[in-house]
Amino acid sequence: MKAQQNSMINAPTGEEARQSAKRSRNLRWGVIIGAVAMLAAASVLVFLLALATNNQNRFEQYYERLLYLNIGVGVVFVLVIGWAVWRLVSRLRRGKFGSRLLLKLAAIFALVGFVPGVLIYTVSYQFVSRSIESWFNVKVEGALDAGLNLGRSTMESLSSSLAGKTQAAAQQLGETALIGPLTLERLREQLDAADVVLWSAQGQVIASAGASRFVLSPERPNSTQLRQARGARVISQIEGLDEAAEKAGEKAANPTVVRIKALAMVSTSMGQLGIGSLGSDARFLQVTQAVPSGLLANALAVQEADKEYQQRALAREGLRSMYLATLTLSLFLTMFGAVLLAAVLGNQLVRPLLVLADGVAQVAAGDLRPKFALQTRDELGGLTRSFAQMTQQLSDARTQLQSSLGELDASRSNLQTILDNLTAAVIVLDSEGRIVQANPGATRVLHAPLAAHIGQTLQGIASLQDFGTNVDAQFREFFGERNTHVDHWQHSFELGGQTGLQSFAGNDTTTSIIARGAALPDGLRLLVLDDITEVVSAQRSRAWGEVARRLAHEIKNPLTPIQLSAERLEMKLLAKLTAPDDALLKRSVKTIVDQVDAMKRLVNEFRDYARLPSADLKPLDINTLVQDVLSLYAPENAIVPITSTLDAACLPILGDAQQLRQVIHNLLQNAQDASLTASNGLLAEHSDRSPHVEIITRFNPSSSRVRLIIRDAGTGFAPHVLQRAFEPYVTTKSRGTGLGLAVVKKIADEHNARIELSNVMSSLLETSESNSQGVTQNVGDSIPQIIGAQVSLSFPVV
Amino acid sequence: MIILPAHAQSATDVNNVRLEQTPEGMYLSATMRFELPGAVEEALLKGIPMTFLAEAQVLRDRWYWYDKNVAWATRSVRLSFQPLTRRWRISVNAGNGELNTGTSLAQSFDQLPEALAAVRRLSRWKIAEGSEIDQDARHSVDFRFRLDTSQLPRPMQIGITGNADWNISVQRNLRPEAR
Repeated sequence: MKAQQNSMINAPTGEEARQSAKRSRNLRWGVIIGAVAMLAAASVLVFLLALATNNQNRFEQYYERLLYLNIGVGVVFVLVIGWAVWRLVSRLRRGKFGSRLLLKLAAIFALVGFVPGVLIYTVSYQFVSRSIESWFNVKVEGALDAGLNLGRSTMESLSSSLAGKTQAAAQQLGETALIGPLTLERLREQLDAADVVLWSAQGQVIASAGASRFVLSPERPNSTQLRQARGARVISQIEGLDEAAEKAGEKAANPTVVRIKALAMVSTSMGQLGIGSLGSDARFLQVTQAVPSGLLANALAVQEADKEYQQRALAREGLRSMYLATLTLSLFLTMFGAVLLAAVLGNQLVRPLLVLADGVAQVAAGDLRPKFALQTRDELGGLTRSFAQMTQQLSDARTQLQSSLGELDASRSNLQTILDNLTAAVIVLDSEGRIVQANPGATRVLHAPLAAHIGQTLQGIASLQDFGTNVDAQFREFFGERNTHVDHWQHSFELGGQTGLQSFAGNDTTTSIIARGAALPDGLRLLVLDDITEVVSAQRSRAWGEVARRLAHEIKNPLTPIQLSAERLEMKLLAKLTAPDDALLKRSVKTIVDQVDAMKRLVNEFRDYARLPSADLKPLDINTLVQDVLSLYAPENAIVPITSTLDAACLPILGDAQQLRQVIHNLLQNAQDASLTASNGLLAEHSDRSPHVEIITRFNPSSSRVRLIIRDAGTGFAPHVLQRAFEPYVTTKSRGTGLGLAVVKKIADEHNARIELSNVMSSLLETSESNSQGVTQNVGDSIPQIIGAQVSLSFPVV
Repeated sequence: MIILPAHAQSATDVNNVRLEQTPEGMYLSATMRFELPGAVEEALLKGIPMTFLAEAQVLRDRWYWYDKNVAWATRSVRLSFQPLTRRWRISVNAGNGELNTGTSLAQSFDQLPEALAAVRRLSRWKIAEGSEIDQDARHSVDFRFRLDTSQLPRPMQIGITGNADWNISVQRNLRPEAR
């Protein structure tokens, strides 16, 4: 029942716990997935960033954007970690269970990620800065410079050589009178030139040889060039190199032809005559020679390399900071990722332990509700499952224990109730005879408050010294013969008074007890006492009745012959004797007759008591009956005056008129006797009392009973008599048989009437009619005096 | 001719601005005044080409709305040094908004000042076609001239970000001359 209740109470809380566990599991999965996604994104970004640092890569243009994106991711990581750390610290502050373990694990994981990261970072930092520095050195720069100079000087020497040759050719031409294409062709072959053109001063082609022959208007030299040529006699220029360099930079498919052009003025000799011999008419020889392609390519390559080198040298700082920024950012992202993963994984690892430890703490606190178990397949999950199972078993065992304890309690209280309401005394003694336990019955039977003496021996209680000694002896004997098949001992005791001295009229306050002893486990002794005083009393009255009947029978038989014989003696001898003898005879016979009469009466009383016929109950009016009886006690023949107070409201009762009449007779007789004794006793303090007897009937409507009270003015009852007054042969009269009240009691029992016997106290005269034990009354300072006794009979109405 | 207050952020300035509005189009002539910073000259001498970018945005005034963008012209001048020939070379690339779309003109100089003079000078640069311009409306021109560092190699860009030496830039809001 209790267990069921428990489980019913537990059911919703278990459900709730499961719900919250599910929620937290979802949350955890969310966090893990988020972390992994972020890490993946960060990895991709870092990778792209690393790619972008490569100069020639197509990601290069996105470098800055990637950098900021990565910084953004890093900031998010920092925020997440900050949040996690704050949460952990606040948990730690609140002393939440397991946060210390979690912190430790997270710290370990973070350290494991952090230290190698820092190591690699340091090495990489050094490496990057050194390697970037190592790209640039004076020798390489010098070599490039020298290569460039070499190329340039080669070009210049080619140019100046062509200029010299052209000048020589021009001089030669000046001496030639007729300059035809043939001459120029010969000159071209001689000079190994691509093109030879003879310009007039006005910039018109006079003659040409080579490629320009097929061009309608070859590119003519501008005026500046002509002027320079006129001044310096010869100029040379490299054309197309810039375009070639640009094309080379752009890696064009067909490089432009780079040429060296030399322009020399052809001076006419003074002695020559010809078509063009006009003084103002100068002529210019232009020789164009292609730069050898191998030389050109090498020169351009050197220039390009030099350019690249210089670019990089200029961008050295930028490059370095770019690499280092990428490196640093990668480190941070990696480390934050590591810390984040550490937190998440640490949480994952520590969770079963937390569940377990939490459960242990709960169990230690006495909470045996079902515990949450993890469904993972590893050992820790198994541990939590075993723990939950263990807790369940523990809980079951406790529930069982509780229910059985409850049952035990119930049965014990049952037993206690039975014990408390047992009339027999039940006492438990320990092996030393000390009282361990006693029921209220024991106090009643032994007339001693045993409950107040727990822990003492029976001998220690003043009124029970002998009894205790006897009991102890019995137990010792019993334990002595335990080997036989006796499982208890039984013995009867008399308590109080002097044992073995039982008198009929005696002050007998003895209590008869049957004691029974048995052994309990643990050396305890069980003592059961039964008060058999009343049983003994009943047995006694039955025995006496039997004795009386037989005795009466035996005695009655000779009485009539004795009486008759005595009367006959008197009749026969009365006249024949002398006067004194006559008188003696008369007196003697009278004595005999009287005594025989008395004996007959005695015997009759005995007989009557012994075989009282059963009552023949009929409705009758008690007042009529009383008046009927009182007519016999009329004032003229009454020794003691009798006053009667009869209640007219009395309803008829069921009764045997004959027997009731005898009851009234008996009681009135007793009352008269008692009153007479008191007044004849001549006790000084009683002298003021006139002997009188009262008879009262009264109807009590509330209880529907009719009460008959007979009250005398005698000496009252002694306490020990009050106790046993209804037993036969208990009397206060010197000559009484002690059967009067016994008969009254017997008849009253037959009529279902209650009979009470009490003393009338001086101060309680009016109110003591229901008070049975007047002796014990104490009213203030005036000690009440016994001024008589009363017997009250209460009959139920019809 | 209206010249708004000069930007005080650098020594760069614009002189002799002439904005002509003719039925054939709008022409801009100006002379930029700036000195080549040492770092830039050094980079040039090491063979790194510099690009100067002139942008002009022609806006038609609209009293009821923001000004309408009617034309957009750019002109980039690439200045480079050829270590092999020790000559300076500029190539001019003019286009409408987009770079490298227009025709390219190259010119070589023996001396840097000559080349720089060519860079500084803008002579009757056609910034808008006649068809694009409403002859009756009022127009304004947003003119910018700057050293385009985005054409530099990437690592160099990182190195010079925020460096005042490399900041050659000027901006003007111009109104065409009244005819």
